[in-house]
Amino acid sequence: MPSAPRKEVDIVFDGTFEGFLCVVYAFYYEGITPLSIQTADALQPSLMQEEFFIVTNNDNACKVEKAIRKKISHDAYYTVAYAFLSSADDRFMCMLHYIVYGFKMGHRVDDHLHHDFILRVHKCAREVGREAHLLKGFCRFAETAQGILYCAVTPIHHVLMPLAEHFADRMMEQSWVIHDKRHNKAVVYNGESCVFVDVTPNTVPPIYAENEAQIQELWTSYFNTAAITARKNPKLHRNMLPMRFRGDMVEFGGTGRADSTIS
Amino acid sequence: MDFSQRLKTLTEGAKYDVACTSSGMNRKAKKGMVGSTEACGICHSFTADGRCISLLKMLINNYCEYDCQYCVNRRSSDIPRASMQPHEVADLTMQFYRRNYIEGLFLSSAVIKSPDYTMEMLIKTLALLRGDTYRFNGYIHVKAIPGADEALIQRLGTLADRMSINIELPSERSLTVLAPDKTKPAILAPMKYVKNKILQSKEETAKYRSAEAFVPAGQSTQLIVGATPEADSKIVHLAQGLYKGYGLRRVFYSAYIPVGNDTMLPRYESKDSYRSPTPAFDTGTGLIDKAYGPILMREHRLYQADWLLRFYGFTAGELFKTEEENLSLHLDPKCHWALRNLEQFPVEVNTADYRTLLRVPGIGQISAERIVKARRASKLDFTNLKKMGIVLKRARYFITCNGKMAEKINFRPESIELRLTDNHAVGPYSQLTLADAAYA
Repeated sequence: MPSAPRKEVDIVFDGTFEGFLCVVYAFYYEGITPLSIQTADALQPSLMQEEFFIVTNNDNACKVEKAIRKKISHDAYYTVAYAFLSSADDRFMCMLHYIVYGFKMGHRVDDHLHHDFILRVHKCAREVGREAHLLKGFCRFAETAQGILYCAVTPIHHVLMPLAEHFADRMMEQSWVIHDKRHNKAVVYNGESCVFVDVTPNTVPPIYAENEAQIQELWTSYFNTAAITARKNPKLHRNMLPMRFRGDMVEFGGTGRADSTIS
Repeated sequence: MDFSQRLKTLTEGAKYDVACTSSGMNRKAKKGMVGSTEACGICHSFTADGRCISLLKMLINNYCEYDCQYCVNRRSSDIPRASMQPHEVADLTMQFYRRNYIEGLFLSSAVIKSPDYTMEMLIKTLALLRGDTYRFNGYIHVKAIPGADEALIQRLGTLADRMSINIELPSERSLTVLAPDKTKPAILAPMKYVKNKILQSKEETAKYRSAEAFVPAGQSTQLIVGATPEADSKIVHLAQGLYKGYGLRRVFYSAYIPVGNDTMLPRYESKDSYRSPTPAFDTGTGLIDKAYGPILMREHRLYQADWLLRFYGFTAGELFKTEEENLSLHLDPKCHWALRNLEQFPVEVNTADYRTLLRVPGIGQISAERIVKARRASKLDFTNLKKMGIVLKRARYFITCNGKMAEKINFRPESIELRLTDNHAVGPYSQLTLADAAYA
């Protein structure tokens, strides 16, 4: 490591995971110690200090990925990749600490649970994993007139990536779209590969297939019949299926109901 | 009857079967097929009673030849009857599956004409679903019908992921009284057959690529709780026997909810009768009250005991060491066990091995794993444990950190029990109120 004095700056990067890995690269090879790390689109300009923009370079990102996998562990790489998808404000700084500490400790880094930043990174990764797992079950597709399956979700974290991976396997010969309404992103799958796109908030609701309303009606009726009245338990129901997911679910009258667009 | 009505009727008939898991099998999608399965299972929705919907659970028909008193579909029951064609079931499954409403199909049937005929209907449906028309690769749970030919069970098992044969009543005596068409050997024989087939297919699939998998996610069964006078100890011992002797993946417990007006079964009429988890068998006017609290709690305690058997290294004998026959309703089985075996506590978190940690009330697999990992790097104290997300509500009474106990603990069973139950239901103490006579 060069002996030149380290620069302490507020860092801005482009918001991609590769971009973040380049922040790690800059920490080691350009002597840049971040005071804060922000993404370009969520930048809050500061009066006191100028931001330092880190340019994303795929080669450098690859080097950092390889180093994490080799010197820490594959698990650590997945933990960082999942924590990155979290929407916690402090995640980038914690992840940087985690990686720097990991290069010192090797694969044992995950045992050092007495450090707050390690717990924090684990917690972020766990929350993303949990929400992604729940949405694998709770997200609802509706068939459009063109035969594409459309699904709207409102997750707290950026879970499109794990969802896309799951459905690209499960419905590999079907075209589908998953729309993240909270972060205005979508993933489009055409039967071969996934593309992640930004979407504008006021997207026109799709035109649904002819039998869509009928199938949604069947499902809602099935859902209501399957409950045993004598065992009704609203508190347990809320614990298992939190209210925030219900807004997008057909059986709770959420968005995506085909009959609601007709009127 | 139109399709929607038939679906309702057939759902109504299947919903008292509690199993709705889609777990135990990891299968990636195949080219040209639709669907995959995940080993952890995925819940797609939850009904108002808090039970998960993972599979489309339905009967293929509910015209039953049998007259089992606990069952809503029995011959003598006055309910609408309906049936579906195999292609209707397959079509509905695919439509729901594509929209991500379900993880797969749970298909059951009333016994129509004969067990063999019923099995053939089930096989026809599954074969259609797995065949070229629908190419379904998702999860299928299917009921085997006791008394059917072994060749049919064999064929059905190669199409499904999980197969179940319900025992329903935990003793032979209850079976003769309430389900005159069923016998214990008729239920256990196919379970044994399925077990042996699973073992055989495991061996074959490990050796030969072309070998067909037979019920890869294992078999399960269901026991009804509270319809007959069997005690918890009998039920838990039976479950343990099934796990060990028959290699079952899951035993499900279903609190009995009255589904008809038969005088042989308990009804919940007065406030006193449903306070008891096994209601009195002498029935009167037939008014059904809606408070099922204690029986649902009993079911919950049985599930907790079941988990102790499967994941925590307990045996049924340990849980029922004393003369008590039922699980405690106000304390969970692990706390109950710990209080009766207090000489094994407190446990030192920094040195105790994993299996000992698992026996501490409030510490589960995840917590125990985290403790074992974290203590490699540094000594743990109560603050560390709390930060790591270990729930100390119950555990604090049973552990030490570096030889120290948590503060203010009176290490006597009565005192700990009192605190664990939040002053409910034990001891002579109660919260004073303004209305108390002694206070006035």
